Amino acid sequence: MNKNRIYPTRFVFGALLLYSVLFVLPSVMGLGYSFTDWSVYSDSIHFVGLQNFATAFSADYNYTRMLVNTLRFTLVTTVVKNAVGLALAVLLTKQVKLLNFHRAVMYLPCVLSALIVGMIFKSVLNPKIGLLNTFLRGMGLNFLASNWLTDSKIAFRSVMVVDIWKGMGYIMTILIAGIMSIPQTYYEAASIDGGSAWQCFRHITLPLLVPTLTVTTVLNVIYGLKVFDMVYSLTNGGPGFATEVMYTGVYKEFGLGRYAVGTTLSTIMTLVMLVAGFFMIRHMVKGDGQEI
Amino acid sequence: MKKILALALALMMLLGIAAVVHAEDVEITYMASQDWVQDAEIALADKFTEKTGITVDFQIIPADQYTTVLMTKLQTGEDLDLFGSQAGKSDIVTQLNVEKNAVDLSGEAWAATVDPLAAAETSVNGKLYGQPAQDVSSVWAVAYNKKVFEKLNLSVPTNYEEFKAVCEAIKADGMTPVYEAVADGWHHQLWFCEMGVAIEHAEPGTAEKLNNNTMKFADSAAAKQLVEQIKEMADLGYWGDNYMANEYNDAAKAIAEGECAMTVANQGFPADLNAQYPDFPAEDIGFFVMPLLDNQVLNMNPVGPTRFIYSGSANIDAAKQYLAFLAEPENIQYQIEKVSKFNTLPFTTAKDAYSPEISAFYAAYPEHGTVYQTSVNYVNPQWMEIGKELVAVLQGDQSADDMLKNIDRNRADQATAAKDPAWN
Repeated sequence: MNKNRIYPTRFVFGALLLYSVLFVLPSVMGLGYSFTDWSVYSDSIHFVGLQNFATAFSADYNYTRMLVNTLRFTLVTTVVKNAVGLALAVLLTKQVKLLNFHRAVMYLPCVLSALIVGMIFKSVLNPKIGLLNTFLRGMGLNFLASNWLTDSKIAFRSVMVVDIWKGMGYIMTILIAGIMSIPQTYYEAASIDGGSAWQCFRHITLPLLVPTLTVTTVLNVIYGLKVFDMVYSLTNGGPGFATEVMYTGVYKEFGLGRYAVGTTLSTIMTLVMLVAGFFMIRHMVKGDGQEI
Repeated sequence: MKKILALALALMMLLGIAAVVHAEDVEITYMASQDWVQDAEIALADKFTEKTGITVDFQIIPADQYTTVLMTKLQTGEDLDLFGSQAGKSDIVTQLNVEKNAVDLSGEAWAATVDPLAAAETSVNGKLYGQPAQDVSSVWAVAYNKKVFEKLNLSVPTNYEEFKAVCEAIKADGMTPVYEAVADGWHHQLWFCEMGVAIEHAEPGTAEKLNNNTMKFADSAAAKQLVEQIKEMADLGYWGDNYMANEYNDAAKAIAEGECAMTVANQGFPADLNAQYPDFPAEDIGFFVMPLLDNQVLNMNPVGPTRFIYSGSANIDAAKQYLAFLAEPENIQYQIEKVSKFNTLPFTTAKDAYSPEISAFYAAYPEHGTVYQTSVNYVNPQWMEIGKELVAVLQGDQSADDMLKNIDRNRADQATAAKDPAWN
């Protein structure tokens, strides 16, 4: 390898400084504050050890449910966005009329702000006057009309569906790029050998898309663990506490003036993301034949 | 030389523009929850701008997010001049920390004209920190359509069983008995907190014991029964099918169009309804107290939304001028006249505008009590949380006992953080 082609180490200092000041330092400070009783109710701050962490995992509070909801949201949206995104990507790399129009339509939701999407779907999913239930009732499907966002048994699923709708176009776009990078000669060879469409997908497209799918999985997992805006705009964690996730919990704790508990929850999520990120990046780098 | 001259001229021009902009563009921001700023106040703010050149930028936040946004802004010291908040002598110390976050207004000329009861709820150590923004004489009660009651030959219920019978009769007639709005997040818990007067009537001394930490909500049989009755109302269909998605802004529409017969409202509601639906006379709306736990006590609350000046504001003088302008007697009277839900304002200079019907309603309930969000510490700061707890009960996700225990836990957390001697 030509060492002259490697940029000097000092080039990284600027980015490293910004990253340290804007990300690492606040995280470390947050970790420090999570061992205190910092709150709006008192000007003094005292060290309280692991008390906030005990609170975060106590059965008396809802935080473990928030963590479970966050992990469930991450798992479901990652799997479904990848699956639907892949299906759309395969469809939209075929010879289809108005191909770019279809791609643009599927991609469009992801350029909208989550708050705008939330407001639109709050209206669409209104049980009485919403577009969806009105449509279902109009079709004679009254039994399908539901309290999409106001029934604690289905509200979280509704939130996940809206998020999947919003995010699948983005995943589709990345996967389209992945599929288009697969040489056509493989498909031609398979075709000569009599390979069916399914066999081509199973034995050519899918294996060669694994690196791209790994990237989309990492993106989805990080996004899912950080989810806030979609839940906030659609249900604000309700009805009751049914759709609370960790970051709506952090926001609520700050609102109640319990800053130390808020930073503790944030610290827990930072640790979860660090662990998840470490293993996922290690997996990705292994795929490139490198070790970390 | 020419370059230096050009540079100096450009610099002077910029400084001149900055000075002009600074002099002319004094703008104060006023952040408040929805429904706290009335059209009449906005009109007065325009007059204030004409008079002083100071503009008022209203930042209206949805009710379910307001407390969180306010607390975050106060903590981060974000750009803010005036803010609205519910008052309450305990909460303005423990939650708002007004001695640090708000400006002492005791020296203002209008401070002496604030009604003494309201002033007590906005003062700390004898210093006044807030200016009442709304009518606090009004009580939250069941507003009912008199025509529906006449048609179905119903009379005002005086206990819970009679109320259920009224609801059944209305339901049988094809109407939703009660318009309840849960989507806003602030309304449905009125059934619980306002009925603190009924808990107090059933178990005298409860508020004091709760404040002394010698009793918890979970220990109160009346509180548990109250929550169960609220759930029963919803389960029996008295709130209709859509109460979870209903918004309070549509309450007048639901009553005027005959969809619902009752709703929990204050005494400004009839005039408000009439303003929106002129064919519906305000006199057709009557009131009775919420009859849960067989309540017959008038639920008073001397506390309401209040304006505070943020201590970190760069425009404290301008904000003080604005509050002084609003408190001028003619401007107080203007608000009482123009805001249909105001019958008076808590200033000694105000002349009330009670209708005979409303005066009769107040006279019908000689026994008065103070609601729990005011008389019990650490209840009002968790208003929205109590709403969520109640929704979890209504949805069958938790029991009444769980809800009361959670309220106790949240109170204990706040009291401990506030170093309340009763908890430490």
